[in-house]
Amino acid sequence: MNKLTDLPNSDGFFGEYGGKFVPETLMHALKELDETYSTLKSNPKFIEEIDQDLVQFVGRPSPLYFAKRLTDHYSGPKIWLKREDLNHTGAHKINNTVGQILLAKAMGKKRIIAETGAGQHGVATATVAARLGLECHIYMGAKDVERQSLNVYRIKLLGAEVHAVDSGTATLKDALNEAMRDWVTHIEDTYYIIGSVTGPHPYPMIVRDFNAIVGRELRKQSIEQFSQYPDAIIACVGGGSNAMGIFYPFLGESNVELIGVEAAGSGLKSGKHAAPLNDGEPGILHGAKSYLMQDENGQVIDTHSVSAGLDYPGVGPEHSNLKDSGRANYIAVDDKEVLDSFHLVTKLEGIMPALETAHAFAALDHIAKNYQSNQHLVINVSGRGDKDINTVATMDGISLD
Amino acid sequence: MEYPLTRLDEKILSLKNASKKALVAYLVAGDPDLDSTLELMHGFVGAGVDILEVGVPFTDPIAEGPIIQAAHDRALKNNTSLTDIFKLIKKFREKDSDTPIILMGYINTFLASIKALKESHTFGSDAVLIVDIPGESDLKNIGIKNTNLASISLIAPTTSKDRISKICNNSSGFIYYVTLRGVTGSSHLNISEAESNINYIRSQTSLPIFAGFGIKTPDDASNLSKISDGVVIGSSLVEMIHNQSSQKEFKKIYNYLNEISEAISL
Repeated sequence: MNKLTDLPNSDGFFGEYGGKFVPETLMHALKELDETYSTLKSNPKFIEEIDQDLVQFVGRPSPLYFAKRLTDHYSGPKIWLKREDLNHTGAHKINNTVGQILLAKAMGKKRIIAETGAGQHGVATATVAARLGLECHIYMGAKDVERQSLNVYRIKLLGAEVHAVDSGTATLKDALNEAMRDWVTHIEDTYYIIGSVTGPHPYPMIVRDFNAIVGRELRKQSIEQFSQYPDAIIACVGGGSNAMGIFYPFLGESNVELIGVEAAGSGLKSGKHAAPLNDGEPGILHGAKSYLMQDENGQVIDTHSVSAGLDYPGVGPEHSNLKDSGRANYIAVDDKEVLDSFHLVTKLEGIMPALETAHAFAALDHIAKNYQSNQHLVINVSGRGDKDINTVATMDGISLD
Repeated sequence: MEYPLTRLDEKILSLKNASKKALVAYLVAGDPDLDSTLELMHGFVGAGVDILEVGVPFTDPIAEGPIIQAAHDRALKNNTSLTDIFKLIKKFREKDSDTPIILMGYINTFLASIKALKESHTFGSDAVLIVDIPGESDLKNIGIKNTNLASISLIAPTTSKDRISKICNNSSGFIYYVTLRGVTGSSHLNISEAESNINYIRSQTSLPIFAGFGIKTPDDASNLSKISDGVVIGSSLVEMIHNQSSQKEFKKIYNYLNEISEAISL
């Protein structure tokens, strides 16, 4: 059997998950992308160019910060925060887009497309496209356009066109459908920057690799700052790119517990949630086999989460394999816990997390008690909460008008 | 190895013997409702259709343009499942034992009903076309070892030559050549590119090659039939079905199919 760190195999499978389940028109483009990436990823000039962008444009490395008052609050393990919220554009998403835009450039593509849920990936894509002067189209569910209006305007300011998608449930999955259709139609000149560790091979691998800078930095920082690797790493999981990025460099460290946190929405038992790893079955959506929220007829069911970025019925195939192998554990927290946690962290630490990220914080209520005061937990603060102010106000029953 | 001829093989053989091009017509099961679908299937055959392609609705049909997407949505609002579609096929077979039926859809819905799918040839389905599996995988890859169900694959303008031969080796029934870069119902038909690609595919397989995606007018159909063994009409039919569905008066659609049928036999 392959080691977890050696996956995916050449066909794009992580165990039984992943693969390339796409319309025939896309097969050649995926092969081309796979070949380009295989060649470039070990090319010193390409690596140097990305590293330079990550330092000078993104602002890496992101700090590892000791959350003293949060630690006191739980009076258990030491809680550390990996501050991806301090990156340029406000989330981990930029790590992936600075890498993929260089792949697009190397492949001579003139037109960039992307899907977005919370809008963070849309902003991160529009940002790198603007920097290279490339035409950029962002697909976003109509429902998300409404609840993330601030990010929609940011994307437009960056010169990209936002396409609101009305079909289906008008959220992230439908934005992905529409981006795929655009790609099928403009296959020759268009590069599709997928924003999570989802989609057909080689995307789950590429997006993971570009985000793995987070975990690599953490290996170094944890030794420097608390003289060991973390006892546990906690990250929210929608598609799962921030989690995969911080987990991957630790897959081989069996002492480091990996905990993914899904969106339980109105509660796992309510059926209104976005937690396929907790309450889904393996299926195939958007090019890959993975855990999926579906009914007995194989139809994808509606999801619910307060967080647009986690409101997705599928999950990256590598997470499905980590779940089955037992290497990572996946829990879920509901909307109410998330909102409480958002307020708690904001008041105790002066850090306003994105609602996606607040899921990882909310997990502390469930798991902090399992650890001793000499143990170290790291939370991946995947993004900042500025974009969510309107949603939080609405949930709190406050009008900002 | 020799296999008994399936209904699809027999139809293809009889068309070949009569030097006729095949007319394949697509519709989405359950749009506007299953009774209408049954009526339309018989009506299509009466209007000159040789092979029926029955769309299995899916929540996320990524290869479809807006017209067929909307039809999938309407069919799902009626809760049309693959189980319902199998019943539909049984009913259709009560009056028509001759016209081949291809189930076209997305892998997740087929996987959910894999047991019934394996048996579906016994009550009248003849082939499966799964839009979102790589062409070189055949039904065996999803657990169907059954020579009674043909495995139809798509080949696109972007398919590389090395993959074309692999796809041909793993296909049965016919090869479905996608005439454009785009989703169903787009309008980027490129006849000369289609001709050279179809000629290449011919050098790799003895299976007949049908062309589809983006055929709207009798002229389109006529042009493509000259370079292929048959044409597939989809989006334009689905659009007409939707326009006529409130009064359930489908004669216009049959007239349109008659015109197409005549155009490809010229």
